[in-house]
Amino acid sequence: MKKTYIIFSFIAFGIALLWALATGRYPIGLGDLLPLALSSLGFDGQVPPEMQMVFWNIRVPRILLSIAVGSGLSIAGVVFQALFRNPLAAPDILGVTAGSSFGAALAIMFFTTFVVGVQGFAFLFGVFAVSIAYFLANRSWDRSTSVLVISGIVVSAVFQAGVSILMYLADPYDQLAKIVFWIMGSFHVASWAKVQATLPVVVIGSALLSLFGWRLNIMTHNEEEALSLGVDVFRWRLFYLGTSTLIVASSVAAVGNISWVGLIVPHIARYLVGTEHRRLIPTAAFLGGGFLLVMDTVARTISSSEIPISIITSILGAPFLGYLVIHRSKNEALDVSPG
Amino acid sequence: MSVRVESLTAGYGKAPVLHDISLEIESGRICALIGRNASGKTTLMRCINGILKPSKGSVFVSDREILAMKRVEIARLISLVPQGNYSPFQFTCLEIVLMGGVSRIKSWSAPCRKEKQRAEEICAEVGVIDLVDRPFNCLSGGQKQLIMLARALHQDSPVMLLDEPNAHLDFPNQHRMMGLMRRFVKERGVTALITLHDPNLALNYSDDVVMLKDGRVVAAGPTELLLDEVHLHEVFGEEIMVEKTVSGNHVVVPRNSAG
Repeated sequence: MKKTYIIFSFIAFGIALLWALATGRYPIGLGDLLPLALSSLGFDGQVPPEMQMVFWNIRVPRILLSIAVGSGLSIAGVVFQALFRNPLAAPDILGVTAGSSFGAALAIMFFTTFVVGVQGFAFLFGVFAVSIAYFLANRSWDRSTSVLVISGIVVSAVFQAGVSILMYLADPYDQLAKIVFWIMGSFHVASWAKVQATLPVVVIGSALLSLFGWRLNIMTHNEEEALSLGVDVFRWRLFYLGTSTLIVASSVAAVGNISWVGLIVPHIARYLVGTEHRRLIPTAAFLGGGFLLVMDTVARTISSSEIPISIITSILGAPFLGYLVIHRSKNEALDVSPG
Repeated sequence: MSVRVESLTAGYGKAPVLHDISLEIESGRICALIGRNASGKTTLMRCINGILKPSKGSVFVSDREILAMKRVEIARLISLVPQGNYSPFQFTCLEIVLMGGVSRIKSWSAPCRKEKQRAEEICAEVGVIDLVDRPFNCLSGGQKQLIMLARALHQDSPVMLLDEPNAHLDFPNQHRMMGLMRRFVKERGVTALITLHDPNLALNYSDDVVMLKDGRVVAAGPTELLLDEVHLHEVFGEEIMVEKTVSGNHVVVPRNSAG
């Protein structure tokens, strides 16, 4: 049954990719996709230059970015849920999103309106926020993840307050709209420069997390158990948190805050392949990439103007998670047969 | 492999829970750790396992000081069967047992086929082979505890710590758990330290006993010599009788329950 799901997922991903490539304000026929792809290899596919421009400079980087960000956020979601032993933990639990939003708002208000500059500020402040949360938690004698979560809440609250202050001070006709749109998240800013800045971090980070995936199984146990099994919990926690934070910070810095992906995709992946993280991480990456690709295509085609993607992910994602939870608990109730 | 505790003082915060404890657990024996709630049993286990750093004193396993070792080295010497066994995620029992082998597996790797075969053999020995594909969280308390025992055996360390392994177990399962431990200690030559609430289990299954009261050792030595009415009264603060049954076994009962 689960193999069928996996084959179906690959077919669905292929269809979603073709749909995303063909659909948009400049429609591209399915028959033009092959000549367009070949045109990059020097073959004259007889396609109009404006179609080539839209395809290679707008649509392809946007699709690559949506797949990369979706995969990155989903893998980070899997890792954070495992580390915090909480299926409801999201990748922004330690304040990375709040920190990035503050960095982006700061850049928009005082420094630069260039997207790469805003991206750089967002990335640095995202990493900075998580570092403060980690530093605060390490000051406590209690080294459990609960203290880390509380530190994350504190740091998030401070940076969110900072964002509110900046929004209050922002020029309502220019800066405020930019800040709000950035916070809501969108791929309309996608470019090859953003792909180049984001993709290596996501790919290398995801590869590392997949490589060390089996050990993450042990991190889902409490500290005492994991230590007794021979895992230096505190060192490995730093590795998993650091790598995931870099992935999330680079994703959020590229396209803004995108809700729900890091929370629901790990659940869907777990439903398909179980909790074993060596299988779970690649599955979540694949599903997350596909999910955000579809959500972005919906966001840019559903109306005449582009809708911030977090609105779409929330409207579709939240009820879907609810459905999964109810459906799964019914199944588990049937499966349970303790002796 | 023997365990030696020397002048150990340890606790949480400023108030010590254990006061200047010294004892030795001999190799290849079952040692029962008994005492009332909050007498320091789990704290002593944590110190032996290197989880809690003592404010004074040392723990040695086969003359190697625990705190001088890395976590992975400690795990190769000591395994733990924990008191609680809750996982927020749905692993299968085989996946749980396989985690016991992490100290042998490279950090970028996963269990190989040989590890899986070994884990299944241990599950068969413990009598839980039919549970390997079942989700761990769907098991009963007794079954979970047996899976935890299988995981500790898969860790393959010469010293085993069992922290109240009989908590939440029914009467037959308590004896099944202790019987299994008796068998593994005999067959594998492991040293087992088991915290127990019921002195009857210590009387029936342990070679040695360590009796704790308010973080101090009341008595430590062979069970048949020390588990008597005087020491039990001192540890539990109740009038306790050790009666001999018609079959020749001994049972521990509170004096007031006799009428």
